[in-house]
Amino acid sequence: MGNPNVNLLEVKHLRTYFDTEDGEVKAVDGISFALKRGETLGIVGESGSGKSVTNLSIIRLIPEPPGRIVSGEVLLDGVDILKLPAAQVRRIRGRRIAMIFQDPMTSLNPFMKISRQLMEITQLHLGHNRGQAYDHAIRMLEKVGIPDARARANGYPHELSGGMRQRVMIAMALSCEPELLIADEPTTALDVTIQAQILELIKTLKQATGTSVILITHDLGVVAGMTDHLIVMYAGKVFEQAPTTHMFALPANPYTRGLLRSVPDPMAQQGELYQIPGSPPDVAHLPPGCPFAPRCYRAEEICQREFPPMVQLTAEHSSLCHFAQEVYEESKLAVAATEPLGEGVS
Amino acid sequence: MGTPNNELTSSGWAVPPLASVTGEPLLAIRDLKVHFKLAGRSKGIVKAVDGVTLDIAAGETLGLVGESGCGKSSLGRAILRLTEPTSGQVIYRGRDLARLTQKEMRQHRRQLQIIFQDPYASLNPRMTVGQIVGEPLETFKLAQGREAETRVQELLETVGLSKRFSKRFPHEFSGGQRQRIGIARALAVDPDFIVADEPISALDVSIQAQIMNLLERLQREKNLTYLFISHDLRAVRHVSDRVAVMYLGKLVEIAEAKTVYADPLMPYTRALISAVPVPDPKVEALRQRIVLEGDVPSPIDPPSGCRFHTRCPYAIQTCTEVSPPLVEIKPAHFAACIRISPDQPDIEQVAPGAAPGLDAAVAAAGQPVVA
Repeated sequence: MGNPNVNLLEVKHLRTYFDTEDGEVKAVDGISFALKRGETLGIVGESGSGKSVTNLSIIRLIPEPPGRIVSGEVLLDGVDILKLPAAQVRRIRGRRIAMIFQDPMTSLNPFMKISRQLMEITQLHLGHNRGQAYDHAIRMLEKVGIPDARARANGYPHELSGGMRQRVMIAMALSCEPELLIADEPTTALDVTIQAQILELIKTLKQATGTSVILITHDLGVVAGMTDHLIVMYAGKVFEQAPTTHMFALPANPYTRGLLRSVPDPMAQQGELYQIPGSPPDVAHLPPGCPFAPRCYRAEEICQREFPPMVQLTAEHSSLCHFAQEVYEESKLAVAATEPLGEGVS
Repeated sequence: MGTPNNELTSSGWAVPPLASVTGEPLLAIRDLKVHFKLAGRSKGIVKAVDGVTLDIAAGETLGLVGESGCGKSSLGRAILRLTEPTSGQVIYRGRDLARLTQKEMRQHRRQLQIIFQDPYASLNPRMTVGQIVGEPLETFKLAQGREAETRVQELLETVGLSKRFSKRFPHEFSGGQRQRIGIARALAVDPDFIVADEPISALDVSIQAQIMNLLERLQREKNLTYLFISHDLRAVRHVSDRVAVMYLGKLVEIAEAKTVYADPLMPYTRALISAVPVPDPKVEALRQRIVLEGDVPSPIDPPSGCRFHTRCPYAIQTCTEVSPPLVEIKPAHFAACIRISPDQPDIEQVAPGAAPGLDAAVAAAGQPVVA
């Protein structure tokens, strides 16, 4: 996949399975992607698509059992995290790779002062003494826009609003200037004006520090404004990947196409929304062929029977579909005609 | 200047003439207030809804947007008396719902239904789908036995579910299917009016479009009127005819949906609309976002005057003193801001420190405008 000096992170053929009462669930099933330094990668998908499991696998936070990473490589600067002893992974987590989650309340310790939670990280990873750690904590809180940082640092998480808690999480995550920030639905629990604040903050900090970002979200509006590259996941597989502008303009997978068309555009007057029929599949019981085939407007007999190939459309654009090339051409025609897609509306 | 009468609405006045919607409104909400006493503290009162006056026309979808804690769900619930209003009127077909006895209100719920956000929590897990959808038929004695069964099957098919599902239990269904069951239950009694309280927020993106399309189809077929409550501004834009914006218990702007998005007047609405991410990288790359400072203040002790003044980039001293009424700034476009007026609707063009809407605000004291 290229030069390890350019790619900060390379994920190769990653498989993470869970043992459940329903049998083996292939939550992540053979996904590969790469992330360059300073780049933002968006991962979109619906519930159960495997987007969060992918990222928990990258930092080895999959609960074992019931989960296990079956195979694959996660190369951080060429070193496979999956092969490292646990103690070394702990030195990477929080230091080189940091994570923020959807619900900051469950990721912050409710019994610990905010200052202590921030100090812990730099004391552990950067060897700060208490004084240094405290000063650093205050600086970080100021950096993420917490007003009256000294007073706030003395308080507890429950005294803060949702947006402020997410700021604290970001301050913690960026304390050690990580090379990679994984943000898993960082604004989903927040109001839209607060979401705008947090996204703006992530953008600004990213520009200032050069941190690479993986942004996991179900919101296509958020990825449109935030990411350089985009991965669409479905049923544990990468269905499509491309530069963000390219994916939005010329989707080459029926699922991506449907997803893009089913989101109302606040700037345009629209008639009935395009809708993808059916529901996301139960990953424990996937059909033999393409997992999207039962919902796909384009599906033919081969799709029920055979698992689709990953088709390379351009150097940076690939799509998992028997008819990727055709769908890609359809998208080009649609752009040329700017006519709405007619199929699949019930 | 002295402090004018901040309370522009007062309880106990007669219903003002209906100005803004043509014809008789289906629901006329007048100075509705929902105040909650805080448990354990003697003095704390949350003014969740604080004087909302609004008409909802028959057959329209009125979108109600605002951030968490702005009172939008409390308003929806108060209309149906699922939360008791503290004061004010909800006039439906000539009767004030707020004054009905519990028993009378229960009869009216046949016409006024609600769909909830969480399809997991709003269906009884021990009842079959048939029992859930059929229960309202029994309660209102609309159908019994075989007839009720047939009706349930029809309802399931109306919302896009197989009639064979009536023997199954809620846990066997996905979120989108459960929301359809909730919609079938609401439709069972043939209502006029449905409060849809965040009906798509808990659903996957591909399922949201299905439910929005279903609600729109049902509206056309059954001539329903919706109050569509959501924090998802894209969804609200899509389904609504008019959109009302709430901030800390008050309506701050209301107009046709496309107008609110294309030409927001009040500074809060402007920020809210600009914060909505657009699913188009080319648009996003060029957009100038108005990023508001700070959080929504607590509704327990809301800011004086205009409640938005603590976060408003255009606030002047007077904004902290005068509570702005809704004023018809442009035809059928109401906004609550003293810094704009019908003559000077664009806040960017208003002279620094000027408050062209102040006179109107003072004059309107005690005579709320119906939007």
